[in-house]
Amino acid sequence: MSRASGRELRAAERERVPGGGENERFPGFDVIEQAHTWDATTSGVVLERLGLQPDLRFFGPAEEAAAGALFDHLLAQWEEPRVPVVQMVDARLAEGQTDGWRYEDMPEDGEAWRRSLAALDVDARAAAGEDGVCFANLSREEQADIIRTVQSLESKPWHGMPAGHVWSLWTRYACTAFYSHPWAWNEIGFGGPAYPRGYMRRGVGQREPWEVADTHPEEDPL
Amino acid sequence: MSSFTDVNALTERLSTRRVRARNESAWLLPNDGTRFDKALIENMRRHRDADEVDLVIVGCGAGGSTLAQRMARAGWSVVVLEAGPFWDPDAHWVSDEAGSHHLYWTEPRVISGSDPVPLGSNNSGRGVGGSMVHFAGYAPRLHPSDFHTRTVDGVGQDWPIEYADLRPYYERIERELPVAGQHWPWGDPHGYPHAPHPVGGNGEVFLRGAAALGIEARVGPVAITNGRFGNRPHCIYRGFCLQGCKVNAKASPLITHVPDALAHGAEIRSDAMVSAIETDREGRYVTGVRYFLRGREHFQAARMVAVAGYSLETPRLLLNSANKHHPDGLCNEHDLVGRYLMVQGAPQTAGRFAEEVRMYKAPPPEVSCEEFYETDPAKPYRRGFSVQNVSPLPITWAEHVSAQGHWGENLRTYMSDYVHWSTLGALCEFLPLPQNRVTLADQRDRYGLPVVDMSYSMCDNDRALMKAAQARMEEILHAAGAAEVMTIQRFAHLVGGARMGRTAQEGVVDASLRTFSIPNLLITDGSVFPTQGSVNPALTIMALVDRAARLLADGARAGMRSPDPTQHEEYST
Ligand SMILES: Cc1cc2nc3c(=O)[nH]c(=O)nc-3n(C[C@H](O)[C@H](O)[C@H](O)COP(=O)(O)OP(=O)(O)OC[C@H]3O[C@@H](n4cnc5c(N)ncnc54)[C@H](O)[C@@H]3O)c2cc1C
Ligand code: SF4
Repeated sequence: MSRASGRELRAAERERVPGGGENERFPGFDVIEQAHTWDATTSGVVLERLGLQPDLRFFGPAEEAAAGALFDHLLAQWEEPRVPVVQMVDARLAEGQTDGWRYEDMPEDGEAWRRSLAALDVDARAAAGEDGVCFANLSREEQADIIRTVQSLESKPWHGMPAGHVWSLWTRYACTAFYSHPWAWNEIGFGGPAYPRGYMRRGVGQREPWEVADTHPEEDPL
Repeated sequence: MSSFTDVNALTERLSTRRVRARNESAWLLPNDGTRFDKALIENMRRHRDADEVDLVIVGCGAGGSTLAQRMARAGWSVVVLEAGPFWDPDAHWVSDEAGSHHLYWTEPRVISGSDPVPLGSNNSGRGVGGSMVHFAGYAPRLHPSDFHTRTVDGVGQDWPIEYADLRPYYERIERELPVAGQHWPWGDPHGYPHAPHPVGGNGEVFLRGAAALGIEARVGPVAITNGRFGNRPHCIYRGFCLQGCKVNAKASPLITHVPDALAHGAEIRSDAMVSAIETDREGRYVTGVRYFLRGREHFQAARMVAVAGYSLETPRLLLNSANKHHPDGLCNEHDLVGRYLMVQGAPQTAGRFAEEVRMYKAPPPEVSCEEFYETDPAKPYRRGFSVQNVSPLPITWAEHVSAQGHWGENLRTYMSDYVHWSTLGALCEFLPLPQNRVTLADQRDRYGLPVVDMSYSMCDNDRALMKAAQARMEEILHAAGAAEVMTIQRFAHLVGGARMGRTAQEGVVDASLRTFSIPNLLITDGSVFPTQGSVNPALTIMALVDRAARLLADGARAGMRSPDPTQHEEYST
């Protein structure tokens, strides 16, 4: 891609694409502004994530509702604009794009998703003591309780699957989708793709001119 | 001073000339900013299935490509069948984690045992170049002590060769990749053809911590050009080595051995999945291989077959090739096929610094330490570990953070702290155990072939090493000034499954990588390792195969009986 056409594309993208919200730690940092320095193949793959995602093909409506609520919790996405994690995971499952392995005591990933989402609805009905209820209908706190329970079961079974293996499936798919998105890169200060330009300023405390310093360097989360 | 550098420059020029004389790959790449010369593929020699070629190789990865290049040079007719695509780095690879999913072997596999090992991106690749397309790039040698751990340390297994048998081949491959690094003080001390790369923040932290503790750490050894090499440019420090190097700076067989193999008449048939190795009616010789190409099954006839499909697919193919003379799979008379599989324990420890480290800016492989490699009699465990830089990109880093149990707001907060963390990874020498093995699962892939079930369970020595390595990495990071550390338990690399031995009771292949069971069948990949040391395996795989190729070319071909193709049961054209 030539530099000029990259710039135009960048301007066009900036108008069309929501920025993903305020950036608290790296104010003003926007990795998309560097898209004009990326090779065309990479730009194509990355910028597609900012466009409209394919319609759902894998999840049925009930699964869609449960998955949406689950991902909101796993990734703390409470408002729009959201990184479209439900669509991104649905696309992987529809295409059978697995990680290339499954635990012996788990079904293939697609089936494991269907069963675990249905199980969330079963737990929701049990918690509410009502038949018509599903996981997505519960209050945020009730949903969080169910998720916490699954996490705390570790290697114990949960609806016929080891809870820890379900947890691994959920978090792997959720994190892969979310942290592939440029908005998430902005939030963490990651410089993104770097071909053909490369990185010039390496070493502790070094930044490229277009990278933004962390405004809370002492904010150790631990 | 100036005459000293002149002599150095002259030696370097001479040795580069010698490399070019035996392997011209780096000079056969384009010099115009594109990364692979398509004319090499268009003009490739093509064989018919019925042509009985001298050698068919299954898999075009580290082992398969090296063998193809060497044997094509020796004048053999060679066909390589590769299940994955013929990569075009410009069009097929991206500077992006999630977008690199197609580089990995993602056909179904089952993992079991008390310590199941996740596969996929973390373990094996596909396509021309194999797993080295997305390997990190560390290229260390085994130590002399690795070749007799049974005799000296009382664990593991002795190799049927010594370090000295491999040394000349290590030197040749190091020049062909080429490898960059400081003078190496451990094992058999040696230098490297390319100077060490400047380090980024992550490497700086490692060096700082090691220096504070008085531990020796060195920059390298990485198979990444530092300066021009043929038509391969210098590394641009973009940090996406695990996604395939779009620059042609990091070595993979696609650019280090395949171009020369093609130029010398080898045929590489991509998208060709081998389903079985066939034998003659009596089961004494192999006659060729069956494979799927564009939905149709073919049979390629060959005088000799070499399997180089990786430690999982190689045993799987031998097991899937069972016939009436070999009911338990080929070469499996002594129940050794698929056994003694080894991963390395690879705990990954990260440290938090108030300064910004931005570990994504540099190749992930930077600095290593092999000081804790051999058995320390004062310790309760045998053998040891090495420590290296690793630098997870955001998705892999999220895995590290979420493995601590974080999710929701906690996960987002931790993740937003990414630029402050520096990461080390250890490689612990897990011992070869018979129960760690590949078997066939009930499940089948889209070709209808049973898939791999890989079972792994650690022993006490393995666990003790993981703990010791973690403690050492925490110590180094704290000494460098880290306020906090966090560790995840991981595994890396995978070798064994069809190991070398002195006898048929001890191994599947002999020291020249020929199977004991069938004289014209070879295994030429990481499956043949009897033990693994604490080093990354790719350089040793290539060196072992280079040695086997030399033996083959030097006359082992003489006297080879050519199987009569009409004797083949299923043979038809
Ligand atoms: C993320 C990662 C990082 C790594 N980092 C390092 C490192 O820094 N240093 C290091 O030394 N090593 C590293 N490794 C390991 C290294 O890449 C492998 O050990 C090495 O490439 C294995 O070589 P091989 O010849 O055994 O198999 P491969 O290189 O995997 O080649 C096997 C080939 O055979 C093909 N194949 C398999 N079955 C069939 C079939 N039935 N028909 C046709 N084709 C088939 C596959 O598609 C593949 O291309 C890393 C690996 C990974 C995944
Ligand atoms: S850091 Fe260097 S070797 Fe690694 S992918 Fe980038 S250019 Fe290639």
